[in-house]
Amino acid sequence: MKSIFQNRLWWCWVWLLTLSLTTTAIAYFVTRGITGPIAGAAILFLAYMKARLILARYLGLAEAPSWYRGLNLLIAIYMVLLLALYLAAGL
Amino acid sequence: MSEAKEQGLLAELPGDLMMWVLIISELLVFGAGLAAFLAVRISDPAGFADAQDHLDRAAGGLNTAVLVTSGLCAALANRDGAQGQRKQARLWLAGAAALGLVFLWVKAIEYGDKLSAGIGTETHPFFTFYYLLTGFHAAHVVAGIVILGFIACYDSPRNLETGTAFWHMVDLIWVLLFPVIYLLR
Repeated sequence: MKSIFQNRLWWCWVWLLTLSLTTTAIAYFVTRGITGPIAGAAILFLAYMKARLILARYLGLAEAPSWYRGLNLLIAIYMVLLLALYLAAGL
Repeated sequence: MSEAKEQGLLAELPGDLMMWVLIISELLVFGAGLAAFLAVRISDPAGFADAQDHLDRAAGGLNTAVLVTSGLCAALANRDGAQGQRKQARLWLAGAAALGLVFLWVKAIEYGDKLSAGIGTETHPFFTFYYLLTGFHAAHVVAGIVILGFIACYDSPRNLETGTAFWHMVDLIWVLLFPVIYLLR
């Protein structure tokens, strides 16, 4: 068991599940009508964090820092675009 | 940029360069689809919210957990394959593929529920995007399962790295697609 949790892949999985559970908890409130810009921003931020983990650990970009930084930046910009489109519907 | 530096940057990239070209191309396609979805939503946010209430958010959340666990299996298969543990790698690949089938099964139940309720692609623009984006993603899951089977048979470290990268791309797309389609309202 000790060796499992010394492994970065397993830790990545634990984090991904934790982030997914947090997203599900927010979804629970969304189902009950608690919505708004903060809930939307939190949902997109959690998605961004999951994408970062998959890029870094599952796809191995943690070993290629230049590529990781570049793709990370692109996805961050893309998430800001999605957030802007999401918020534009409320104007 | 000098040729040597350029080579160094490319050499730094894990796996096959063409797989990365594919991954980025697929991210662009799905990214455009999700941006278009949110752009169309601007004209009818209430209609999109009503339509979204027909989706099963719990099933979507479950499928997220299934797919990220499947991604772990694929990553462990790649690691074990690189260390020459072929049998172990194949077992992880089988686990990844089995979880891929679970994902498709949950998705089929979701589609069945929608179709039996008379909800099709023409019901509302929301559902046009829903079927298009999740259906196209499900097609990638099917392709990924086939690829996982293929690399279990031809399990060189290079094949494992390239094939599992495709599977992680499917995973990556889902973690972006799920919140936008199922949760944002």
